[in-house]
Amino acid sequence: MTQRPLELILARNLMSALSTPAFLVDEGGLLVFYNEAAGALLGKRFEELGTVGAEEWGSMFGPFDGNGEPIPYDELPLVVAVRNGRPAHADFEISSADGARHQVEVSAFPILTAHGSQGAIAVFWPAGSHDGAGR
Amino acid sequence: MKVKLWGTRGSIPSPGPETIRYGGNTSCVGVTLSDGSLLALDAGTGIRSLGLALAAEPARLHILLTHLHLDHIQGLVFFAPAFRAQTEIVIWGPASPEASLRDRIARYISAPLSPVEVRELPCDVSFRHCPQSEWEIGSARISAASVAHRGPTLGYRIDDGDSSLAYIPDHEPALGADIDSLDEAWISGLGLARDASLLIHDGQYADAEYPDHIGWGHSSLSHSISFARRANAARTVLFHHDPMHSDERLDQLGLEAQQRWLALGGADGEIELAVERSEYELPAHATSATSAS
Ligand SMILES: [Zn+2]
Ligand SMILES: [Zn+2]
Repeated sequence: MTQRPLELILARNLMSALSTPAFLVDEGGLLVFYNEAAGALLGKRFEELGTVGAEEWGSMFGPFDGNGEPIPYDELPLVVAVRNGRPAHADFEISSADGARHQVEVSAFPILTAHGSQGAIAVFWPAGSHDGAGR
Repeated sequence: MKVKLWGTRGSIPSPGPETIRYGGNTSCVGVTLSDGSLLALDAGTGIRSLGLALAAEPARLHILLTHLHLDHIQGLVFFAPAFRAQTEIVIWGPASPEASLRDRIARYISAPLSPVEVRELPCDVSFRHCPQSEWEIGSARISAASVAHRGPTLGYRIDDGDSSLAYIPDHEPALGADIDSLDEAWISGLGLARDASLLIHDGQYADAEYPDHIGWGHSSLSHSISFARRANAARTVLFHHDPMHSDERLDQLGLEAQQRWLALGGADGEIELAVERSEYELPAHATSATSAS
């Protein structure tokens, strides 16, 4: 397996230490890691899931818009962030492994380096919660 | 490829009777490629002696800087070839969004820190940012990659014939990461070090010292050993000794390193502590290094 860029490695290390659900994609927009807090929200640890494609991911977890319709992959904040090199924000619903739906706010930002965009990070917040001091 | 350690100390020169065997000069490794091309890895105070050992005739040489901490550039203005008009010196180093390599180095090689300015150096000097993909110098292929330290920092790999040298003197791959269990692709620097004939790696702290230095950008003995085992390096030299470590202390750490190495399944003689002026010969058609002195 090819070596990940240092910026992605450090992002993963930081995310591993956070109690905010966080997701990491590589420069191609492929999900390469999510942390334990994200695993708790989804009901599945990253190590259990392994690498899954966008389609499989969509069928398992969503996300869905306000009408319960799946949101196209290309419109996800993580994907917008990594492709356009800009931050992106959205509100949507995700489905966890037990089928429960969760309203979340998502902020994603790109990991820009001297060699261009190497990936992006998204953090999830329970919708309506603006209390950043842990829950 | 011939490799000679001209400076093995980290952080600050530490001369004195307590450090006379392992050496007090800061990071510098001289490399002579199989076609005779000359490289200096870092330009700590050890590069002064490297410069004095070089023949006085016109030469072209490359200095590969891992980063611009003072212990890696301090010897630049005392490097004799830089003061010869017929010498061509190419200085490679990490890019930064903040300023060019030349401008960042000029902060040190300028008043009031230095008696000379970069533009006053008599040699033909040029500065190049290391490319993301590998490039060639003489008979070698060089790769550089960012590694976990403080500030933009590179590690290097030099492949010449069948042998390879990995040089990662300032490195904290275990910062926030369990390097024993992580997938290899997610360990800083591992791609550079994989299957290296000779790995020269940060070994600054004893295990007991590391907890007080988390995030300082260096490795504990155990981290260095785990890293080298994961990389499957044929031979490992622990480098960038802490200025507080006397020869006696380093002897103890060297023994400890060997015991751990064996406990992790390594073989005798595959790991040692860096000693100033020691030399390694990496044959063009072999997989491991032999000590030349
Ligand atoms: Zn250093
Ligand atoms: Zn340093």
